[in-house]
Amino acid sequence: MRTAFRQPSALFAVVVVAVVVIVAVAAPLIAPYAPEAKDFTAPLSGPTSAHPLGTDDLGRDLLSQLIHSARTALLVAVGSVVVAMLIGVPLGLVLGYKGGWYDRIGSRGLDIADALPGLMIGFVVIAILGQGMAVLILAVGLVFCMNFARLTRAITLTERNKGYVESARVSGLTAPRILFSQLLPNLAAPLVVQAAVFLGSAIKVEAALSFLGLGLGEEQPSWGGMLGFATQHTADHPEMAVAPGIAICVTVLAFSLLGDAINDSLSGSRRLRRTKLLGRVLLDDDTSRTRDDQATTADETPVTRAAGTAEEPSGDLVLALRNVDIVADRPDGGTVPLIQNVSLTVRRGEILGLLGESGSGKSMLAKAILGLLPAGVRLAGGSITLNGSELAGRTPAQLAALRGTGMGVVFQNPQANLSPVHTVGRQLIDVVRAHDATISKEAARTRAFELLDLVGVDDPERRLDQYPYQFSGGMAQRVAIAVALVGEPDLLILDEATSALDVTTQAQVLDLVLDLRDRLGMAVVNITHDLGVAAETCDRVAVLLRGDLVETGEVHAVFDHPGHEYTARLIAAYPGVDDESPRLGTHDQRKVEHA
Amino acid sequence: MITTSTSPLLEVRDLCVDYDVGGALALRRRTLRVVRGISFAIAPGETYGLVGESGSGKSTTGRAILRLTDVSAGSITFAGSDIAGLGRTSPLSYRRAVQAVYQDPAASLNPRHRAGQAVTDVLARHGVTDRAERRRRAAAAFEQVGLGNEHLTRLPSELSGGQLQRIAIARALVLSPRLVVCDEAVSALDLSTQAQILDLLRERQAETGVSYLFITHDLGVVRHVAHHVGVLRAGEIVEQGTTSRVLDSPSHEYTKKLLAASLSPHPAGRAARRAARVAARGGVAA
Repeated sequence: MRTAFRQPSALFAVVVVAVVVIVAVAAPLIAPYAPEAKDFTAPLSGPTSAHPLGTDDLGRDLLSQLIHSARTALLVAVGSVVVAMLIGVPLGLVLGYKGGWYDRIGSRGLDIADALPGLMIGFVVIAILGQGMAVLILAVGLVFCMNFARLTRAITLTERNKGYVESARVSGLTAPRILFSQLLPNLAAPLVVQAAVFLGSAIKVEAALSFLGLGLGEEQPSWGGMLGFATQHTADHPEMAVAPGIAICVTVLAFSLLGDAINDSLSGSRRLRRTKLLGRVLLDDDTSRTRDDQATTADETPVTRAAGTAEEPSGDLVLALRNVDIVADRPDGGTVPLIQNVSLTVRRGEILGLLGESGSGKSMLAKAILGLLPAGVRLAGGSITLNGSELAGRTPAQLAALRGTGMGVVFQNPQANLSPVHTVGRQLIDVVRAHDATISKEAARTRAFELLDLVGVDDPERRLDQYPYQFSGGMAQRVAIAVALVGEPDLLILDEATSALDVTTQAQVLDLVLDLRDRLGMAVVNITHDLGVAAETCDRVAVLLRGDLVETGEVHAVFDHPGHEYTARLIAAYPGVDDESPRLGTHDQRKVEHA
Repeated sequence: MITTSTSPLLEVRDLCVDYDVGGALALRRRTLRVVRGISFAIAPGETYGLVGESGSGKSTTGRAILRLTDVSAGSITFAGSDIAGLGRTSPLSYRRAVQAVYQDPAASLNPRHRAGQAVTDVLARHGVTDRAERRRRAAAAFEQVGLGNEHLTRLPSELSGGQLQRIAIARALVLSPRLVVCDEAVSALDLSTQAQILDLLRERQAETGVSYLFITHDLGVVRHVAHHVGVLRAGEIVEQGTTSRVLDSPSHEYTKKLLAASLSPHPAGRAARRAARVAARGGVAA
């Protein structure tokens, strides 16, 4: 929160809003005259020492009117936003939650209401009910209630299918209780932001209506009314429009900026909480270990068996990590260690499985290799070499060039890796041409065809002209692999690349990876939480536990005789389908730790 | 092992569920049949594993039993009475008897409520009017799933995935239901957490005799929790029977394909498995 308000615009917004509120509340104390007090000796005086902003045609002091108008503006703004929320929020909740025909008809109703100009709604309400403060609040409130309804409906639609709402329904909670007790608290943040923005807009609408003489009566001072009066005297007193004009502009702007600031600070605090959580998960959240324990484990030499460590001179070493440390910078200047002292090698034609549970840092390690570490996270020590050349300390531009040719990557969600608005062919061809600027369009298309064919996409010619949504998850992941292969990389990184796929599809994609490795001789780093993926495809496995590499070794050796207690625990926990002795019924009752 | 022939707790017969696929302004209702006439039964104290890939209709079946989606045809008999005709507002007695645990632990609790409220809300709805009594029972429910008093007042964002799933289980079990629908209840959890949650579910079953409908894509998980298994493909059960019968000697091609694709927990023999998969696909490598 505090960081957001350090921004100058946010500070400006808070100060202006505070000033307007104070002025409105203390209007009778601040204003030199009562707003309706008439000084018949000085009508239309222009700025004088007694009347700094001048007087109107009845000799009323304009400064006092301006000050009292702040009251009117805030009253109408707050009142109308409350009215808008009281109408819009329940409407949106019902439409979003009920769905079906309620939603279809209701949403079309919202569309129609949106098509009507807001001021027009105001005119109609005032024309029917007459002038007055309450009517004005209602009129302005009606202008905005549709926006609240729309926002509420949209959020409700996404929330209502979440487990906690379904569980509430399964538990038999009544619809009103689900709506107001379960859903509404989750809408609070976006509604507050929206309300702040609409407070400003409401002031604008009120000013417009009052300017047109439709808002409040003569006797009620308002900025819009003052502006309207000033237009009658543009010839003799042009300065009269300046003060109410500035008041409207600055106040409306301040409320808008306040909305932005609240929005920033809400999402900011969420971000902050996440980094805090990350640190906690990695450091001291879990069952038994404390910081001290961790220090000892970090010193402990990881279990490493089988030949193939970095010391062995070898020309076919593709990737080598030596004593890599990765840290996250904390806002207070300290650091949180994410990866500690990790050393790994991968050779040509070898598949290395990087095994770890959530929070183990396995994806962070991949990001470090790719040079894609997020802001606030950095490589604090060690070296990463690809084909013998050092990656640590490279500029982003150099890394970007390497990413295309030296290494390719495939992430978990295949659809998210592809742009939904371009055909698969166009995306592949773009990547091909990015790698080889001289290649002709036809040659690039041929290359794209070959790549799709290589990754086992049937009928590549037709598929090239299709959009990603026309691809199933497995097919989309094949395309993502094709994209990764464009630059004929020496190293392919798979980051949970098959975790989101169905079992049969997963097996096909894994077989594809094995097949590509056999044919192209790439080195592959397969990052996974799934022990089965490692068992089925990897030549060597490395096990990560909270940022420490606890074990590396040849896959059969590790699975037969896990060298680290954690690896053994993982293997024991894996529910294999062809397990000889299913634990059903016979399982020992381990004392449940706090998972 | 309990057999399903002796008065089942839940009996699903020729169940069909359709989804509306027409656009918002479509004049003619177009529907897609996602569950096509499936039948199975769950005995008291038994776990029935419903296995299938995405889009097979397994979650829809669960939602139909939970009365969260309309049934197009067929019957669902629970403890002797047909519930397929019940509207979305089912009687509280049914709500008390049938509960659910969902996949995403982060979404299964209200992010704005303290963890204990998940349980006390349910108790309040089901007639526990005394606030202290609700709190006492929530604490007891937390204890049964291996959580302490201190967890009652935590916000979901302060809890781990495994802890959240434990609370979801506490909420599901606090009313002593007879059936819990577990929809991919362990799929989003880490391996070691998954094993603990499976243990916990089994332990609660041994103690209370609750039945589970265990919906999952993971044959390995089914092997470890289910007494009976049904294999669902495109809305139809292609094969069902006792877990060992279906998984050890599958009779349907699709079951065999699923088993062949399931990852083994050990690398031994993987070259042969790969060769078999490739051969099954007609010799095409991938």
